[in-house]
Amino acid sequence: MTRNMNRFVRLSLVLAWFASLLAAGQNASKNSLDFPSNITGQLTKVPEGVVLVKGARPSASDSVTPVPEGGNVTDNVFTNKYFGMTYSLPPDWRQKYEGPPPSDSGRYVLAQITPADTFKGPARGNILITAQDTFFSPLPTADAGELINFEKDNLQADYKVELPPTQMKVADRSFTFFAYWSPVAELHWYVLATDMRCHALQIVLSSRDTKLLENLTLDLNRMKLPPEAGVAAGVGGDAVPACIQDYARDENIIAKVNPVFTEHRFNPVPVRIIIDKEGKIKHIHLVSAFPDQAKAITDALRQWKFRRYLQDGQPAEVETGIMFGQVSQSPGHPAEKAVTQ
Amino acid sequence: MIKREKLTLALMLAALFLAGMAFAQTDPGVQSASRGTGVTIINPSDDPNGFTAFFNDGLNRFQEVETVSGSANVGLGPRFNSNQCSSCHAQPAVGGTGAAVNPQFLFTSNGVAPGNTMPSFITPNGPTREARFPFGFNSNGTVNTNVIIGGVEDLFTVTGRSDAGTCNSATALPQPSFALAVEENNVIFRIPTPTFGAGLIENLDDSTLLKNQAANLKNNFGITGTFNHNGNDSTIARFGWKAQNKSLHLFSGEAYNVEMGITNEVFQNERPLPGEDGNGGTGDTGLIASCLNLAGVGYPEDTSNPNSTPNAAVLDDVSAFANFMRFLAPPPPGGVVLNGQQVSASAISAGSALFSSIGCATCHNPTPGTTQQSNFVPALSNAQVNAFSDIEIHTMGNTLADNVSQGGAGGDQFRTAPLWGLGQRIFLLHDGRTTNLITAIEDHASHGSEANTVIENFKSLSSTQQQEVLDFLRSL
Repeated sequence: MTRNMNRFVRLSLVLAWFASLLAAGQNASKNSLDFPSNITGQLTKVPEGVVLVKGARPSASDSVTPVPEGGNVTDNVFTNKYFGMTYSLPPDWRQKYEGPPPSDSGRYVLAQITPADTFKGPARGNILITAQDTFFSPLPTADAGELINFEKDNLQADYKVELPPTQMKVADRSFTFFAYWSPVAELHWYVLATDMRCHALQIVLSSRDTKLLENLTLDLNRMKLPPEAGVAAGVGGDAVPACIQDYARDENIIAKVNPVFTEHRFNPVPVRIIIDKEGKIKHIHLVSAFPDQAKAITDALRQWKFRRYLQDGQPAEVETGIMFGQVSQSPGHPAEKAVTQ
Repeated sequence: MIKREKLTLALMLAALFLAGMAFAQTDPGVQSASRGTGVTIINPSDDPNGFTAFFNDGLNRFQEVETVSGSANVGLGPRFNSNQCSSCHAQPAVGGTGAAVNPQFLFTSNGVAPGNTMPSFITPNGPTREARFPFGFNSNGTVNTNVIIGGVEDLFTVTGRSDAGTCNSATALPQPSFALAVEENNVIFRIPTPTFGAGLIENLDDSTLLKNQAANLKNNFGITGTFNHNGNDSTIARFGWKAQNKSLHLFSGEAYNVEMGITNEVFQNERPLPGEDGNGGTGDTGLIASCLNLAGVGYPEDTSNPNSTPNAAVLDDVSAFANFMRFLAPPPPGGVVLNGQQVSASAISAGSALFSSIGCATCHNPTPGTTQQSNFVPALSNAQVNAFSDIEIHTMGNTLADNVSQGGAGGDQFRTAPLWGLGQRIFLLHDGRTTNLITAIEDHASHGSEANTVIENFKSLSSTQQQEVLDFLRSL
């Protein structure tokens, strides 16, 4: 235990030192699709390994505005434009499999990074990058810090806390760091979480090799992330809209048309919208919806009109969330919260 | 000198290979020792309403051989996959999954389906299967992926049977184009789901399952399941490979009609194949008149029997089947033999802990809850359900995807298969593609799967630990 604590004190010191360094910028090019959606029409054979009949999936009203699930790994660099995140993978690591589509509770698997066959080391490991949309989380957590504390307070009996939630800087940004391990599996988890655009962004490192985990944690300082404060962090402005919980409440809505669903379904349909400075919806992101639901909701939302959102007396864009469909769980977070990172 | 170096290198590689073999993990395989699976959950001394008689009655009917006409059990066909519930639900006891010897393979030679051609994917010792075509065909035989079908294509027709009456033409009632479907990769398979303990799963309250789902969202494995819902009342559906069926009654009624062609009080009409409903691009619509009402008793072919005695016999077959499955006890866990040696209890216990620690139990929840009070029998009340399933549907990636949508489940989503009874299952995964537990585990990982991180965790375990997980799974 003492040895573990010493290791974390050492790790924290190194992290603090690294935090003063600027992460190296990385460029990425557009990735190819692993799940092509354009294979239709007459074929001679059904292609192997292609999911053509999909359940609820994400979609958006335009293909230009970045969405959380739009990240990719190209040339060993993970890029996510929505979160403004770039991460050059460690040598001999790669993304073998893409993650599942976002869930109807607003959870994203942004990247799953594992050792390549060329990896040399005493143990394998995982780098899992996820995001939980705090607008739709069924957990009683409003931000990344609360989420980590909730995880710690509800840790299942298989695990032991190695380091309770602690604030630290990674890539010049505040993260909540939490470590636990499984004595039986001898697996260790390092969890780092930060708030970005009303999402709790989590980086989960796991391995039996704690030295590897320390190195991976330090390596995260090479990430390029948006500044903690300022327009790119989500507080509003020209680059990224302000994100506000429950902005789509009645007193802010001038015109509203309910979607007309053609099929009776029972899934929750979380939707993120961006409202322009004039109060019109400029972007609709259906986090998880069937195509018929997506169309009905998009057709309805295009007719909605909001009061203009003023930030420091000036009209500003707003990003908010609306839950359509059947809500099977009540959100545990406060009904309204303006998140300013 | 060079030769000697090569020899040394070869010996070293051989030594490494042998060492690797010594530590390589092995699926202990199907456990043959009787575990007492297949008995009722009802305690005869605590059965105030007398449901034990209903279990026994259902057990008998589950094993009855159905005919097209002219017997006490009529209504088979005109299309079917088998003529007896227990022919498919057989392993390791009546009510289970497919047996080692596939009875379907004999149907063209033993008089069950004499005028039929055996599909190539039905083999003597392969899995008992149903087949589905995910997509329609164009008239020229090419696949049209714009036409999404996915319904069951029954393997056999009544053609050639002496009891088939006016429906005895392979031209008038052809088998689906299985050879073409295989050639064009437009066929997927499902194996029978075991039904042991089904009454406990049926009696889990929705709110219990919803609480589990919310609690599991804090996992750090990237797992987020959802539920399939019944289209009528929106409650959580829970039976079938995609949790497409709400209740055991519905499950029985659908299987009776779809798998055996017997209309019943739940599904009252003969079922044309998906390609015969006008959506398949063939232009065919409906079943031909000469193949309707072959039993000569009218519809539905299975009804309740008001004049029968004792009281259990009054029920229709579907209700009797539902009662049989409802009152089947969950499969008891048992010891594991690996390579002729008994696996120690400590190894199985360690495997259980590892199974949970690496994240398998996030979906394969050992105990998704305790049942609500049952109005049937006390044994179904307040009982711990050790099903190893969260009853949720999860996105499982392109390796397992079958491109069949059922209810709210898409082509790559499946219900977490309950693992109780796994130790005595022969064919694994929804389509029975493997008998090897290691392959089944590895196939959980692929593009788009929620299980990728968990499978990576499994790989990160030592060989000994992986073996313990396998041993544990075969103890279930």
